[in-house]
Amino acid sequence: MLAIQRGAVDTVAFASDVVLAPFDAWDRLMGSLRSRRDLEDEVLRLQQENRVLKGQSQRLASLLSENARYKTLLNSAREIDEELIAAQISALSPDPARHVVILDKGAVDGVRQGQPVLGAEGLIGQIVLTGQYSSRALMITDSAHALPIQVNRSGLRAIAEGSGVIDRLVIRHLAATTDIRVGDLLVTSGLGGRFPQGYPVARVTHVDIAPGDAFAVVSAAPASALDRGRHVLVVAQGALTREAATP
Amino acid sequence: MTKAHATWVIHLSLLIALLIVLLPLPMDWRFLRPDIAALVLFYWALALPHRVGVATAFALGMGLDLIEGAPLGLSSPGLMLATLILQFNYQRIRQFDPIQQSVVILVLMLLSTGIEQWLRNVTGVPALSVGALFALLFSMVCWIPLRAVLRHSRRYYEVY
Repeated sequence: MLAIQRGAVDTVAFASDVVLAPFDAWDRLMGSLRSRRDLEDEVLRLQQENRVLKGQSQRLASLLSENARYKTLLNSAREIDEELIAAQISALSPDPARHVVILDKGAVDGVRQGQPVLGAEGLIGQIVLTGQYSSRALMITDSAHALPIQVNRSGLRAIAEGSGVIDRLVIRHLAATTDIRVGDLLVTSGLGGRFPQGYPVARVTHVDIAPGDAFAVVSAAPASALDRGRHVLVVAQGALTREAATP
Repeated sequence: MTKAHATWVIHLSLLIALLIVLLPLPMDWRFLRPDIAALVLFYWALALPHRVGVATAFALGMGLDLIEGAPLGLSSPGLMLATLILQFNYQRIRQFDPIQQSVVILVLMLLSTGIEQWLRNVTGVPALSVGALFALLFSMVCWIPLRAVLRHSRRYYEVY
């Protein structure tokens, strides 16, 4: 049964590539017709962005080494060797009730079931089914998805559930007196061992406390726009999850 | 029973219907996609009930589940039941004018979608919201042109 579904992932990805080929060709044609000026502007913008990112990553290197030193001081030798696989979203699942995307990387590229998928600004989902050359990822807003998160500001832990709406996550069962505010960044807490700790997930948009209710209903918008962009990163996990999986 | 002729037209039209399911739509507009696969199935069940029946409905449902990545067997039962009803009543429904027919088709789609959504609730797969019923109205509107196209190709290639 699973073998059939795995095979179907590749077949469907191929068929949708065929269906999408005219659209892609049109995009490429339009892309090749862009003016030199536009391209120069874009190169300039990308160079500036690159410079800024390089500057930030210089700090990252020093922070990483600092962090490693602290960890050796604390005797906690949990190394995170994460390898990122760059993938593209090649199609959406046609089922309107679900937020599932088809990625163009599969088992031969190292993609495995359960690996987290990152967008430009944060976590967007996880791999649920892999074929040889393509895979399916379930997005965090699918109403069958839930993930353990942590409020970055206060360290409060909670579960963020998908709402079935592409720009909304819901946190239920938080006491009405909990310290959580609009604008708080939610990051993965690393509990459960599926998602590594510390990836941005969403930002709180509403905290609804009905008078007399024991629980607040907190809404959050995913940090990465799930319906924009095609390029994603699959985190091929290293030591962290293996350690979590085998106690 | 007569010897089959040009049944590849049936298979090709079902395959094209499955490919139409894969056409890209923006994420929030996907629920507006008419269910072309079910319409094509219903047309053939109505026109050639001795060629297309419950087994074809089962296979098509499996194909849809594989395309959507859903647990296998969510789409099939509804389509099979709707096809069975067509099998019992095709002589009467053939006599209806196209508009009456599209109302019958709407009812059949409601039935098959209802069964699918019920199975989704039972198995814990996210079900559609009520807004998704719009897609059924779109499907109903699509019935008349789709029927014309399929009828023409059936007569042109002499499928029987």
